[in-house]
Amino acid sequence: MIAQPLDKQLPHGVADLFFNDAARKRAVERTLAETFTRWGYSEIIPPMFEYYESLAAEAGPQLREEMYRFFDRDGRTLALRADFTIPIARIVGTKLFDRTMPLRFFSVGSVFRYEEPKAGVRREFTQAGIELIGANTMDADAEAIALAMTALRDLGLNDFRFTLGNAAYLQATMRDLGLGDAQLFLLHEALRRKSTPELTRLLDSLKLAATYKNTLAQLPALLGNADVLDRAVCVNDEARVAIEHLRAVLARLAKFGFTDFVTLDLAENRGMAYYTGILFEGFVEGLGFPVVSGGRYDNLIAHFGHNIPAVGFAFGVERVLVALRARGVAKASVAPDVIAATDDYARIEQARAKGQIVEADVLNRDEESLREYARVRGAREIWFRDGRIESVMDRQEGV
Amino acid sequence: MSNLTIALAKGRLLDPSIVILESLGYNLDELKTSRKLVIEDRPRGAKFILAKPMDVPIYVEYGAADVGIVGQDALRESEVDVYELLALDYGACRLVVAGKPAYKDAEWRLLAGLRVATKYPRVAKKYFSARGLSAEIIEVYGSVELAPAVGLADLIVDVVDTGGTLRANGLIELDEIFKSHAALIVNRASHTLKVDRVRDLIEKIDSPQRRGERGEKQK
Repeated sequence: MIAQPLDKQLPHGVADLFFNDAARKRAVERTLAETFTRWGYSEIIPPMFEYYESLAAEAGPQLREEMYRFFDRDGRTLALRADFTIPIARIVGTKLFDRTMPLRFFSVGSVFRYEEPKAGVRREFTQAGIELIGANTMDADAEAIALAMTALRDLGLNDFRFTLGNAAYLQATMRDLGLGDAQLFLLHEALRRKSTPELTRLLDSLKLAATYKNTLAQLPALLGNADVLDRAVCVNDEARVAIEHLRAVLARLAKFGFTDFVTLDLAENRGMAYYTGILFEGFVEGLGFPVVSGGRYDNLIAHFGHNIPAVGFAFGVERVLVALRARGVAKASVAPDVIAATDDYARIEQARAKGQIVEADVLNRDEESLREYARVRGAREIWFRDGRIESVMDRQEGV
Repeated sequence: MSNLTIALAKGRLLDPSIVILESLGYNLDELKTSRKLVIEDRPRGAKFILAKPMDVPIYVEYGAADVGIVGQDALRESEVDVYELLALDYGACRLVVAGKPAYKDAEWRLLAGLRVATKYPRVAKKYFSARGLSAEIIEVYGSVELAPAVGLADLIVDVVDTGGTLRANGLIELDEIFKSHAALIVNRASHTLKVDRVRDLIEKIDSPQRRGERGEKQK
């Protein structure tokens, strides 16, 4: 078989964006960057690729597996960034560790993951997120969540809901079980799927004290509003601290006015990644997966030499776009205001200075052809060569 | 209260699923009398989607449906990230490796260039690679049992119910991959956005009384 020439194809998982799709994506990124900026975050731009060894630091096995790796000419392994958190941790751990804390950074851009071909999975996708570094307080945790919620509102997605858990609670609960990695993996898997039947079967097969079994068996049911915190069994002081921490974060969120937007979920573990404290995910109706997710990672920067706590989150920009499109609130458009055939450049410049989009005719079209072009482009007005101005009838929405 | 969309797998799971939902008071008459793939029970704020079993997990993961009732075989194969909140006591079957009787004493493990026909390529791939076997997985869309007889494959990975189809085609079961039954799945967004409706549904289906009414054994 002769191979299909690849020169006109795209590899799986990447996309070409143009016209309104490109404009809408940039509008979302701009809105998020503006919200982050208002809260005191400044942009940080890590490189697109760096040594695999840095990016693999503390990354879970799945994320490592998914990294795009390649060699430089000296045979060292490089990788494309798979998120922003790890490169930012490296920057802080190696360069900014002695600055006055906290540091507030936001970042927007492409990240790359080699995921199994599955419908809807992109291999290049866009994250927009923040890291709040050098504060391990409840206020810092509450700020991260409140900022994510505020950003959703600024995007026009008001019907959101967040799940909130604490990795420290699960870690404290599991700490003294004395289970091997394989058994812990199965336990985490059953919890991740919230599969009560599987959890029951697993617990039956494990040699554990009854108190532990009961504690683990009730984990999937620890889901809902603040009364979950009263029901949670704490097997040690660490677990108790983790629960009280969540209570305090909820109280602070209420002060931001975000009382009824949180579902507590104490079984959430996000695949044993680098999280050490709160974990949260934001959902909007009509989309089965989170549009934003984040949490606290207090041990990541230590990998790069300095023990500095941090909390952060990232929006999936493509997911935000899907949600906006479903609601018909994706506003940005590339339609011009005016198609100008006139050579009155002073007037054209005046309009542009006022922020109007004025597109000049460079094909010397006749009047009829100008009308058709303006209609297709979605322009509001045509400025003819002789100075006449005409409104465009039944123009299209643009592309 | 928000609307709830429930995706139902066509095929052998459909009738028992309808029985359960009707026992909770939902009206699915239109599903039984018409050939519609989407029906609504407006008074109870519910919508039902009929889909192929393999598609149900995808509908749910993407949020096109909040909840789905589907076999675990389809669920494992689709590798979706959803919550499996409940095991239902019907649709029991097993996913097995089967082949000609000559392969009985695990001779198939020694076979170079092992070929496996299946409707479950992901499950099969995982099973064989976990055992260090390089199997060539051949995806077929029906009558998997035919593959060994006509020399398309050495083995098959497929669901068996009673084992009658295997026997009729001169095949025997060589290993069980997992037991499957119907499961109630929920996507992660609906699980929090519609937590009350989802919890309500789970509790009603899972109540000992309802299970008793359906003639299921008590858990």
